[in-house]
Amino acid sequence: MKRYLLFVLRIAVAVSLVLNTGCWSSNEIEDLSVYVGLALDVAQESKFEQGIEKQGASYPKHNMLTATVQIVPPVTGKGQKQGGTSSEQATTYINEKLTGDSLIQIFRQFALRRDRPLIGHHLKVIVVSSELAKRYSLEQIFDFVLRDNDIRPSCLVLVSHRNAFESLSTSEPGEIPAIYLAGLVKNRYRSNKIIPPVSLIKLDSRMQSGSSFLLQNVITSENEHKFSGAGIFKGSTKKWIGELNEFDLEGLSWFSFDVIGGAVKTYAHEGYTITYEPKRSNSKIIPKVQGDDISFHIKVSSEGSLMEDWSFPEIPSSEEYMRELEKLFEKQVNKQIQQVLYKMQHVYRVDVGGFNEQLRIKYPKVWNRVKEDWDETFSSIPITYEVDMNITDFGSSND
Amino acid sequence: MSGTSNSQKDQITTSQTAVMVINYMLGAGILTLPRTMVEAAKTPDVWISILISGTIILASGWIIVKLCSRFQGQTLFQFLPEITGRAIAMLISILVISYFLAISAFEIRIMAETGFYLLEGTPSWAIVMTFMWIGLYLILGGVSCLSRLYEIILPITLVFFLIAILLSSRIFDIDHLRPVLGSGITPVLKGIKPSLLSFTGYEIMLVALAYMKNQGKANKAMIAGVTVPVVIYLITVIMVIGGLSINGLEKRTWPTLDLMRSFEVQGLIFERFESLLLVIWIMQIFSTFTVTHYAASLGWSQMFNRNFRPFVFAMLPVIYLIAMVPKDINQVFNLGDMFGNVSVYLFGGVPLILLFVSILRKKGAKPE
Repeated sequence: MKRYLLFVLRIAVAVSLVLNTGCWSSNEIEDLSVYVGLALDVAQESKFEQGIEKQGASYPKHNMLTATVQIVPPVTGKGQKQGGTSSEQATTYINEKLTGDSLIQIFRQFALRRDRPLIGHHLKVIVVSSELAKRYSLEQIFDFVLRDNDIRPSCLVLVSHRNAFESLSTSEPGEIPAIYLAGLVKNRYRSNKIIPPVSLIKLDSRMQSGSSFLLQNVITSENEHKFSGAGIFKGSTKKWIGELNEFDLEGLSWFSFDVIGGAVKTYAHEGYTITYEPKRSNSKIIPKVQGDDISFHIKVSSEGSLMEDWSFPEIPSSEEYMRELEKLFEKQVNKQIQQVLYKMQHVYRVDVGGFNEQLRIKYPKVWNRVKEDWDETFSSIPITYEVDMNITDFGSSND
Repeated sequence: MSGTSNSQKDQITTSQTAVMVINYMLGAGILTLPRTMVEAAKTPDVWISILISGTIILASGWIIVKLCSRFQGQTLFQFLPEITGRAIAMLISILVISYFLAISAFEIRIMAETGFYLLEGTPSWAIVMTFMWIGLYLILGGVSCLSRLYEIILPITLVFFLIAILLSSRIFDIDHLRPVLGSGITPVLKGIKPSLLSFTGYEIMLVALAYMKNQGKANKAMIAGVTVPVVIYLITVIMVIGGLSINGLEKRTWPTLDLMRSFEVQGLIFERFESLLLVIWIMQIFSTFTVTHYAASLGWSQMFNRNFRPFVFAMLPVIYLIAMVPKDINQVFNLGDMFGNVSVYLFGGVPLILLFVSILRKKGAKPE
């Protein structure tokens, strides 16, 4: 009897093993909508939403924000209504817009609209419009995104000058705008107008630290995009308060993050163009504290090459001429730094240059005393700077 | 054969003992350690706290080894009556057993909670059930089975863990760890307490030492067993703070996991490493769970001088029920803090008293 029972049990276990292969709550990837981009705008109901609301399809909500998700790959056949403008070629993405006042609720509304639910594991880029960030604090806007366990903290965050959803569309066939935007930040070695990427986790730590910060600004026109300048977010409110333009950002880059590429263009006394390409740079923000007085000194030194010289007739690249040009480039960089410092201290009255970090590291006690009202304190702190540019080579041509 | 007398063949080597201590120490704590420490200390200097608490743990470990080596071949539960008499021995034994049960349950619960990342949608009982049953099967094999499995688990976890955590160096920023001692030494001291729960584990020597082949080398095993986790915790805390900054990690529930989620590596076979970390870490949680489950069952059986096996089965539902008591994750974390506190008194204080009493009452053999 016992043996018989054991036999039956064994069979039962074996059968249950066969029946239970696979994962408990697995979802086939074909049955999911993978979204790679998310754009957040102030509420702007789409035609579809206006249409359905006329038929009474609504739920209690305030229209506070519009979320646009970029989904890849689209359902073939029916998904092209909102896709790119190229009608012949199958688009590689679709953008879906919905409006509401809770991001998670909006996301769940998609479940009423498409058979394949959204999955956030592969979100690459979040673009938030400056208009929305002006009204609400980033802490509020990003609360869901930071809590959600699907969305990875490595996701990139950008701010858009105009509507954020525009930056998720393109007229180039085969291009997925979200991936394209995420790739742009890798070009820092070509331009010092790109700030080091701000991922969700960095955004979170900056918001928690209470200091003001920058987000790369993306500008869109005719379905094409450009990184241009950066949005400034005030530490006390986490709201958008203004923008640094490209020229400011260049100035900021010299002391606030390492310059590993770019182009410094200026004009020689005779009026022709000369351009310097920085290869590497070294910068130091040196805080000084004397009694209650805080001051900063910025030291920038850079090495690079003279990559363009429009002098006519050509002037040979002599040692003397190089020294002369170095002075001109230094003057230009000084101008850039001066302008961005002016904007930070007198226009927006925020510290987005990392001065607070240096003070915190070198003088932790002083920092503890001033950190509460740092942005205000900062705007009246004297800052001096010195720039040292070195032309180490002049490319393949030497005259 | 099992139960009362520790059978001759159920013995473990010195390195197996060290591995057992390491595997017990490396548990659920590492996933939350950076946060709990930073919350308490509010400074990036918490890595110094780890070094300090590591030293403290070494000292208490030394006391435990000293105590146990007076009673060769006997576990705590067996030699306790000799020192204190039956009644007090019973009380202490029950405390120690409850502690082991609680830690066991705690690990189970943490694993069920992190399932949120790895197996979203799978009911926690389904994860926990398989976990516990396999553990049960292992424990029935006795201490040598346990330690042989741990010997397999440890190198795997260490190698993968180090690879994964060192890959995070791409988001590491040394400025997040500076200034060193910027706010003085007091916050560093505050950071010691929360790190103690993660360092619980050395107390297994109270049981394991009795099974060692070469009990003279117990100190060696203890030192190795404590040093490895200290180094691992040190690396973890430094990398997490360097990667996320103290402001960034303070609000993350699982900072170590979030560190892994904060970068992607292109070009390697894997782009994302959090699942890898979780999978190998579940092995560590498993070993902590089994070793405590084992110790608790052994405690009962030796206290009552009964067969060991029924107690293993009996403890299974008890552990599960304790694991399900906390209503939400905050309660789980609070419970964890409580165990940390209890462990300090139970395994930092009590063995010292026992050692003194046994010396005074001339109980046990003097270690050569």
